[in-house]
Amino acid sequence: MDGALFKQALLGSLSWLAANQEEVNRLNVFPVPDGDTGTNMLLTLQSAVEDIRDSNAVEVSKIARLASHGSLMGARGNSGVILSQIFRGFARAVEGKSALNPEELAAAFEEASNAAYRAVNRPTEGTILTVAREAGRAATAAAAAPGATAPSVIAAAASGARAAVLKTPSQLQILRDAGVVDAGGFGLQIILEGMLKTLEEAESAVATMAPPTAKAAQVTVDLPEGGWGYCTEFLIEGKDLDLDRIRDEIESLGNSVLVVGEPELVKVHVHTDDPTRVIALAGEHGRLLKLNVGDMSTQHKRILDTESNVPAKPERPNGVGLVVVAAGRGLVDIFKALGADVVVEGGQTMNPSTQDMLTAVDAVPYEQVILLPNNANVIMAAKQVVSLTKKQVRLIETHSVPEGVAAVVAFSQDKPVAENLQAMKAEAERVQTIEVTHAVRDTRSNGLKVKKGDVIGLINEKLEFAGGDYAEVVNKALGKLGTDAYELVTVYRGEDASDEELKHLESSIRSSYPTLEVEVQQGGQLHYPFILSVE
Amino acid sequence: MVTDSTADLPDDWRERFGIEVVPLKVLFGSETFRDRVDMTDAEFFSRLAASAKLPTTSAPSPGEFAEVYRRLAGSYEGCISIHIGSQLSATAEAARVGAQSVDAFRVEVIDSETVTMPIAFLCRTAAECSTLDEAATAVRERIPRCRVLALLDTLRYLEMGGRLSRAQAVIGTMLDLKPLLLVKDREIKPVDRVRTRTRAIGRMVEFFTDELPVERVGVVHAQAPEEAEEIASRLRAHVKDQEVTIGQIGCVLGTHTGPKALGVVYLKR
Repeated sequence: MDGALFKQALLGSLSWLAANQEEVNRLNVFPVPDGDTGTNMLLTLQSAVEDIRDSNAVEVSKIARLASHGSLMGARGNSGVILSQIFRGFARAVEGKSALNPEELAAAFEEASNAAYRAVNRPTEGTILTVAREAGRAATAAAAAPGATAPSVIAAAASGARAAVLKTPSQLQILRDAGVVDAGGFGLQIILEGMLKTLEEAESAVATMAPPTAKAAQVTVDLPEGGWGYCTEFLIEGKDLDLDRIRDEIESLGNSVLVVGEPELVKVHVHTDDPTRVIALAGEHGRLLKLNVGDMSTQHKRILDTESNVPAKPERPNGVGLVVVAAGRGLVDIFKALGADVVVEGGQTMNPSTQDMLTAVDAVPYEQVILLPNNANVIMAAKQVVSLTKKQVRLIETHSVPEGVAAVVAFSQDKPVAENLQAMKAEAERVQTIEVTHAVRDTRSNGLKVKKGDVIGLINEKLEFAGGDYAEVVNKALGKLGTDAYELVTVYRGEDASDEELKHLESSIRSSYPTLEVEVQQGGQLHYPFILSVE
Repeated sequence: MVTDSTADLPDDWRERFGIEVVPLKVLFGSETFRDRVDMTDAEFFSRLAASAKLPTTSAPSPGEFAEVYRRLAGSYEGCISIHIGSQLSATAEAARVGAQSVDAFRVEVIDSETVTMPIAFLCRTAAECSTLDEAATAVRERIPRCRVLALLDTLRYLEMGGRLSRAQAVIGTMLDLKPLLLVKDREIKPVDRVRTRTRAIGRMVEFFTDELPVERVGVVHAQAPEEAEEIASRLRAHVKDQEVTIGQIGCVLGTHTGPKALGVVYLKR
């Protein structure tokens, strides 16, 4: 397999993953509206192939290196980061090679899996790691068989992956409870299958696939007022595409919609809060190419930051910058007022990429930067930032908004970084987080039967209670924490919580737990009507 | 010995050590009250809570100081007059001007550069000296070692009184934070910020233990006697052989701290 073929295989895996990402998203173990695995992997893979598209390199090593670099920069979510490490391992294994024989290809798969394992502190079986390893083993076995070819090795890897994915519920209790297979592992299976599909098509086709040649015309688009959402662009390749129908469908999902082209190739541009749905919808019409999703709120924010940071901002005595991840206007403002230099937009539902965080870190006018991911699913992508910048980045692994706020409150601009880290970590660990949302599907988790739409309460990321209304679930959660040890509850009100719901929640906490002080802040976060900090 | 009402002198110290206290004033609209003379602390804070507009404060007049000095001139050759920091109030300046109108009486006016009970501590130091010169030297030597570590329940009052600028920027505004402020070297500097009172009190004690040894130590409070007593007993564990004095924050200072303020006050060694 040479570089050109590998490139085609990767492009094929991208469109196959794009077509199947909803399937992957549906496998979320927790019924919470979380950073979706399918979307995260797709965006990571998209970033991996970004530079490859324009490369004419014939050496497989060059293509692999581009993919490794691109995926690392675009890594989102934990599964995205692991995927980037898989590319990294693969790239290392094929260094200096212009083409791979079946043995070398299989060895690269094995090394890809090893790299993924090394990236994780405590590898867990029944996850994408297991699937990567089983794919590597199957590839190695296939490569040893007489008459092995690149497609036969990849076919073996894909079927090894599929078998491993099916076994994941037997390895992980949470998957078994939720009645799903591992989403990240399934995503990897899709990627391998996409490569295989492309190679099979390439073999059977007389001519190799024509690379997408249609260059998108430069379009100027008015930014929507406020500028929030994701700028989503792609091409749809197909037959008899109905531009008007596509435009109508896309228009229901966002604004600044542009649908142009011909029945065989359509260029789509849209600003949307839900790129996943746009992509899924477009995928029904044909093959997606040149997919590009940009977080406009982050870009917008960055511009605003640069502007507002330039005028006479007093030099911070300790020379330590603060970069935090948060979503929701209220939360962004709160972090800013507490001293955060840049707030990278993202969190629960849209995890920021390594690149987003790297840009923010580099934009801060200090050489030392403390980075707070404020979400479990952002931590791994944040870790990558440390080695990608010349700046000294210290990561505090905050899992939630309350942990992040507690840490930032403890930040002192007069103390050296080490002292700050110690104080901030201690405060983050002290605070308890209660998150309240609606179940996005039926499931069983942590011994709890949950129906789609139920109000669910999570204590420190663990699903603990389900019920009919917010106040009931919050009171149960507070009861479980034991309020004797705490004095203050800060309620971060989400975008979807009504005034009545807020009032009801407040008065119910006050009457059930009269010793607790209750403070309400406008968080403005999506999907989580209430996030509570208990300390 | 003369001081002013912002020294937050414990009740029995006036008689015990022979200290004259000149009151500052609190103005609710057009009504003027002399700090701790026309109004008790408790009355003041309940009125503060009920009042839509914040009261203002003013220094005693030079004439009021002159009156006190003239009275003392009947029995003494001179006095030491120790007052709230001139960065915070015009009181020391009024004392200086007042002293000039009293003949044949030596007044050693001292700008303490601080506020609340450290001023009382300086008076105690003076009381232990046998001459005015000795007292003035001993007191001046201790001024740079005065500290007030204050926990405010809210920044609202300090903000409205215009006594907070840089501190504000550092502390942040959106959340209801409990800032720890340190009065030192004529400045009010934020040293920490926390979300809850209990944590803040813990930090105060921690901060204090890092400052040991101290010459004198006390706790002041604005209508929070139980918490003051609790802090005092925690401090006693660290300064076994020393007295930990408890004092109340009066009306004038209370206008800027608001209710429920707590302070650990000390003279560093």
